[in-house]
Amino acid sequence: MATARYDRLIDDLRSEYRPQREWAEGRGLFLVIGHFLVGVAAGTWLMGLLYGVIEALIVAFALACLGGLAHLAFLGRPERAWKMMTRTASSWIARGFWGLSLFLAGGFLCLVPELWTGAPWSANSALSMAGYGLAFAGMVVLIVYMGFVYTSSKAIPFWNSPLHPVLYIAYACRGGTAALIIVMTASSRPIETGSALLEVWMAITAVVAVLWLLELQSAATGGNTAARRSVRELLAGRVALYFYGGILVIGLAVPAVLVAGIAAPLSQATLAAIGLASVVGDFFMKYSSIRAGIYLPLRTHHE
Amino acid sequence: MVIDLKRCIGCYGCQLSCKAEHGTPPGVLFARVLKREEGQYPTVRQIFLPVLCNHCEDAPCIDVCPTGASFRWEEDGIVDIDHDKCVGCRACMMGCPYNNRYFNEERLDYFHDAGATPYEEARTMRHQDGVVMKCNFCRDRVRAGKEPACVANCPTVARYFGDLDDPTSEVSRLIKERDGFTLHPEVGTGPAVYYLPQ
Amino acid sequence: MNLIRPGEKQETSPKPSDDVWLPSSCSLCYGTCSILAHRVDGVVVKIEGNPDSAVGKGRLCGKGVSGLMSHYDPHRLKKPLRRTNPDKGIGIDPGWKEISWDEALDEIAGHLRRIHEDDPRKLTVQRTTTVTSGRSPFQSFAAGFGTPNISTAGGGLHCGNGAHLISGIMHASWSIVPDFEYCNYAIYFGASKGHGAGHASCSNMGKAADARAGGMKMVVVDPMCNFASAKATEWVPLRVGTDAALALAMCNVMVNELGVYDAPYLKAKTNAPYLIGPDGLYVRDAETDAPLVWDSAAGQARPFGDADAEDMALEGSFEVQGVACRPAFEILRQHLEQFTPDWAEEISTIPAADVRRLGTEFATEARIGSTIVIDGVTLPYRPAAAIAFRGSQGHMNSVYNLLAIDLLNQLVGSADMVGGCLGFNPACHGHPDTGRPYYVPHPDKDGLMIAGMWMGYLYPYPIHEPALPEKTGLQDLFVLGMTSPFLSSTDAEELWQKFDLPYRPAMLINHGCNLMMSIANKETVAEALKKYEFIVSFDLLLTETSDFVDIVLPDCDYLESVDSRSNFPFIFSLPGGMGEWCWPIRQPVVEPDGEQRRFADVLADLAERAGFGPDYNAALNAGLDLQPPYRLAPDRKYRSEEVCDAELKSKFGDERGYEWFKEHGLIKWPKKPQEVYWRHFEPVRVPIYWEWMPTVRDKMNAITEPRGITMPEEYYRPLPDWLPCASHTCKTDGFDLTAFYYRDSVHTNSYTMENPWLDEAARLDPYSYAIAINAKTGRAKGLTDGQPIALETETGRRVTGRVRLTEAIHPEGVGIAALCGHWSDGMPVAKGKGVFFNDLLELNWDRCSPANINLDLCVRVRVGPAEKTSS
Repeated sequence: MATARYDRLIDDLRSEYRPQREWAEGRGLFLVIGHFLVGVAAGTWLMGLLYGVIEALIVAFALACLGGLAHLAFLGRPERAWKMMTRTASSWIARGFWGLSLFLAGGFLCLVPELWTGAPWSANSALSMAGYGLAFAGMVVLIVYMGFVYTSSKAIPFWNSPLHPVLYIAYACRGGTAALIIVMTASSRPIETGSALLEVWMAITAVVAVLWLLELQSAATGGNTAARRSVRELLAGRVALYFYGGILVIGLAVPAVLVAGIAAPLSQATLAAIGLASVVGDFFMKYSSIRAGIYLPLRTHHE
Repeated sequence: MVIDLKRCIGCYGCQLSCKAEHGTPPGVLFARVLKREEGQYPTVRQIFLPVLCNHCEDAPCIDVCPTGASFRWEEDGIVDIDHDKCVGCRACMMGCPYNNRYFNEERLDYFHDAGATPYEEARTMRHQDGVVMKCNFCRDRVRAGKEPACVANCPTVARYFGDLDDPTSEVSRLIKERDGFTLHPEVGTGPAVYYLPQ
Repeated sequence: MNLIRPGEKQETSPKPSDDVWLPSSCSLCYGTCSILAHRVDGVVVKIEGNPDSAVGKGRLCGKGVSGLMSHYDPHRLKKPLRRTNPDKGIGIDPGWKEISWDEALDEIAGHLRRIHEDDPRKLTVQRTTTVTSGRSPFQSFAAGFGTPNISTAGGGLHCGNGAHLISGIMHASWSIVPDFEYCNYAIYFGASKGHGAGHASCSNMGKAADARAGGMKMVVVDPMCNFASAKATEWVPLRVGTDAALALAMCNVMVNELGVYDAPYLKAKTNAPYLIGPDGLYVRDAETDAPLVWDSAAGQARPFGDADAEDMALEGSFEVQGVACRPAFEILRQHLEQFTPDWAEEISTIPAADVRRLGTEFATEARIGSTIVIDGVTLPYRPAAAIAFRGSQGHMNSVYNLLAIDLLNQLVGSADMVGGCLGFNPACHGHPDTGRPYYVPHPDKDGLMIAGMWMGYLYPYPIHEPALPEKTGLQDLFVLGMTSPFLSSTDAEELWQKFDLPYRPAMLINHGCNLMMSIANKETVAEALKKYEFIVSFDLLLTETSDFVDIVLPDCDYLESVDSRSNFPFIFSLPGGMGEWCWPIRQPVVEPDGEQRRFADVLADLAERAGFGPDYNAALNAGLDLQPPYRLAPDRKYRSEEVCDAELKSKFGDERGYEWFKEHGLIKWPKKPQEVYWRHFEPVRVPIYWEWMPTVRDKMNAITEPRGITMPEEYYRPLPDWLPCASHTCKTDGFDLTAFYYRDSVHTNSYTMENPWLDEAARLDPYSYAIAINAKTGRAKGLTDGQPIALETETGRRVTGRVRLTEAIHPEGVGIAALCGHWSDGMPVAKGKGVFFNDLLELNWDRCSPANINLDLCVRVRVGPAEKTSS
């Protein structure tokens, strides 16, 4: 395993356009999963609050817990994770770490009395309210920080786009909406609420799609060859399969077909399927854009 | 540091003397040499470009590090990694526009299944796994009054090491006299490794 | 996950009880640079260059600093091995069984004794060029035993029968290099001196960089733009193997178009004024037999020693002793007229205008007539050098190629003059205290130069009398040859029969040479190796050749060995030019971790056991030039430290023995201009006209014609020409590219691919393990970069590898680096890496130069996609 990794690294170092693998392949996959889960969790918390769906908050909390674990599994030295609290002044990751910590702590404080009547503190207690406050603050950080992590990665021109943070905020909202749709269908709420949410989902999806197009367009036409190379990876390279299959087919075409009612009339099941397809599509959006990262090549002359 | 591309012949002496100095694990190359072609036959040039950590003045790797493991020594400006603080998040690898950081994911011996050599036992085993590694301008050597290994060993004397803040130093003089340049100045990191044109 | 993770257990390590830096010598290539090895608690943890030494000046190439990974290779042999399977063949398991040293040595000594009684010539002693310390012990062993069959590296790829012959005859040295310190214009023909591999490689890298920084213009003529060409001011790509065409046309431009040449030099330092009769031979003085020159002042012909050089005529026609004769230079001048720039363009693809320009530049830059003062001595200043080596010499016509190129130096008088083309240290007046070592070139009866020092017993000049061969390599017939490919050629037996070789090789003692890879295609070499009754091999690792070996002896490596003369003879790998004489030694840094023994000690042991110990000692006395009272006594066995001690004391005095050198590492003293620029001072001439060539051919034909072989006339002319290789005359459809081999700067022969650091560097390199083909040519053939391809020869030989489409190669060339493509399990790091170029080469009479038996290394190939790849 280590040998195969070494062999691939050698090939990568020799290539002029070295692909980024640390954040997507091998153990790096856990980072994508972690980012995906935490992003959906924050979005779901937001939508759960907006629509007052306690089940969504529970799901969001659970997703965030899993996301946190995935992050730990990604780290080379998970036992030192607490040290990531120290550099919030400059590091978006440190800020995200705080965000997740606040979110989990707050979520714990507010959800425990909601779920367990025998809890030492009540759902209306100051502690619980503080929990909501903490979780909300954490949520905001989580929704915002992730895009900046990529934007501040100066080695990967494809990620440097100022659109990236906006895109990640939109992701969170789309993920949250989709998750809420699933939660609502699973908790057998009336189909009308789901349909209303579907419109929200469509609006956000449109925003995400536009942002994606803008980002691809600017990378493809911008001056940076590494960014162009990333677009090539997405459209016709190593990650094209995930781009077309994961993002376009699962994330867009399948929900579109279902929304339009072509395959089946709108039902709880189709709603759930739309939500699920959207979420899976989101995963591939993140996965493919992260994996398409290409390092800035080293040359003596500007390109 | 100043690297004279006119003198460099791409012999890999820097890459390998660095390896010998630090006993870096397989695939971890604090110093390496890139070879590039420019132009078309027959008016083609081969460029040898030795690269290493640029010890940037405005180092993105320090900014993105969540733990402070990546840091700059106050007294000499060398950008270093405190491996006991590194959590292995690799954000610095994504932050370094120069590709000069390496994640030592898990132990690997150069002779693979045959196990670590006595040399690797003595040197390579000093390095932690699960952390990011990079060049620190051989800070131990420099503090002991020696040049970094890649500088001291370069058979063509293509590398110079000195104080960029001192306008009278040899490195400052060379940069000025021969139009020294840095890699990717557009990124705005303020590299401390300058190249003299071929 | 490990319980104790790396990096977390070192905190408590106690202060080392053993922490030393020891001066010694590298052995990753034959450059043998001076090193300092850092040993901590019995482990070598660092190798650096020794800044005290002139050899490397404290700096090492990538190979040198990586030596400890070769040293600590876990696959190194630790015990003697004996085969149990009598069947020998490629990939057939020998069934190795560990045996004791006594058992091994007794068995080997038994064979030696048997062969010695039968016919000592049946023993062949072969050694690698990489380990220079093997030269004296193995040559002495062969001499003491009584066999003339000494071979290096299989006589294949590495050594240069043309390069060393021409350097020897024209520069009294093994090789040539620009006088970097003073040179302004160097033109390289298939050489990389100062840019990678080669003699005094590290020192030359520094000197060449200084020269570059100082504004030396360098033109590199090479089918591929790498190493030297990458750093050149101008890269001149040419068709593979056509260097002589360019050089001859440049000479023509200089002499006939520009009329620029150094007449005083040619008169005083060459045979240019010697009168040549209609038979092509010297016109000799009836009384003294000395060649005659035309003395313009006296208006008559006189022996060359009697006339003042300045009065000697270079041009004109004269009648002397009733025959019409002309000075050699006049003949050369007329001979050169045929080599027009247009002619050169057709052969080499170099535009005629460039040919003319290069000739003009060289003539102009040489500054003929100028002088310079060095250390108070006024010397001719000729800052232009034409340098040839491996690339231009690896061809059928290597004699002419190299002679044509050296003519450039001779015509402008830059041979061994300040700023010109220097031999590596052809003259040394010795250490001031002892006057040793002392050697200078000296004249033969015809005034022509005999080298003062050489690498073997047989000096390149005077040319020996061709004789029926007594050597299996036929060098006593082919007197211009050095290493011979005929030990392994498909027609070796046929040739031996033809030339009545009175015996057949029966036993091979091999030192570190991987014959299976170092000569030509593996099947041919395998057949040759199978014919030996008994093979013993000193090795560090089991190689491809080990499949044919009967007993493998585990060798000590350079960090475990002793050598008294790391850089002696100075003509080999001590940097040329001004600076310091430097005599470093090799001393052990660590003890072997198994039962490995030093080859020099084992040879002494074997000589004693086989009963020729006194002869071995006598040969060492001669070979090392040991003076009384340090000569080895016949009746005892000496350990390598003792031999080392004897040579050092003999050279540098009683107080400077092995113990002194162990502490100091080396001794050095300044070079004098009279040594470095010896040619100005020594009364020797070199031949621009090789008068003896037709005579040599006649004598050879007297032997060979009755046996059905006639030596082709065109290879035995006194003046050089361009002669085609097989690859130039190939017209077979589809075989449109010419593959050639080049030395990679991170690899030495076939050895270093097993070093994982160097392997890593080579894998990162775009070219090292690839097949380089011109991008346009490749695309026209439908190839894409990185694709697995196969090269096929007309004879059906085939190698595969990944293609590197590059702008940096001639459109007709296929460049392959080093001797890669190992398949032995004994070298697992090297296995399967890169491309085995030699597998394309045929090994027979047709592929060897009929002049100096140089194996032709360029081969016409057809290129196509391969289904599977080697790496």
